[in-house]
Amino acid sequence: MSHSHELAKGLADLASQVAGAEVKVEPAGGGPGGSLGTSGDAVREAIARADTGQGVVILADLGSSILTVRHLLQGKTNGHIRLVDAPFVEGAVAAAVMSSAGQSLEDVARAAEDARGASKF
Amino acid sequence: MRAVPVSSESTVALPAGVALHARPAATFVKTALRFRSRLTVGSDGRVADAKSILAVLALGATGGTLLRLSAEGEDAPDALEALASCVSGLVE
Repeated sequence: MSHSHELAKGLADLASQVAGAEVKVEPAGGGPGGSLGTSGDAVREAIARADTGQGVVILADLGSSILTVRHLLQGKTNGHIRLVDAPFVEGAVAAAVMSSAGQSLEDVARAAEDARGASKF
Repeated sequence: MRAVPVSSESTVALPAGVALHARPAATFVKTALRFRSRLTVGSDGRVADAKSILAVLALGATGGTLLRLSAEGEDAPDALEALASCVSGLVE
């Protein structure tokens, strides 16, 4: 989930290419007409496309993306859909690979959050 | 009765022209995640958790590099065999 359609789409493409076809990575980015912005509807639709019954992990870029997702998830307390506090690129790639290996929602979310401490080189 | 944890190591070369990046790295990590043992992969004096895609990517191992695999746990021998076989069979 990003303010930018291109950023969300590009990251989804990258994570999918690394992790393979076993995992669904769905972008939700930008506001109406391709502008920069956030859309709760776009997030809702992306969650529906990504959800195969095992749960959904959401990564958001910053600021009002976080607020938009949190607002959308209000009242959904069963933990099936999780917003994670994680670096956007590294977190998405780590989560996608864990998910493609058939790991639990808990492990997928933790892999994204652990990306915070990962060195790039 | 629990089996005694086993620790073992082996060395395997990345195929020429295949770097441990993107898809090859993910294939390696997915193989590691099938096992319970603690698994590491070392290259050029650095060691990474073989179950972490970000750690494996950060090794920056290029084609032909020797990788040191180590495993510690009940399924260590099987894990090492699977990882070595995975590395030998990696393609871009």
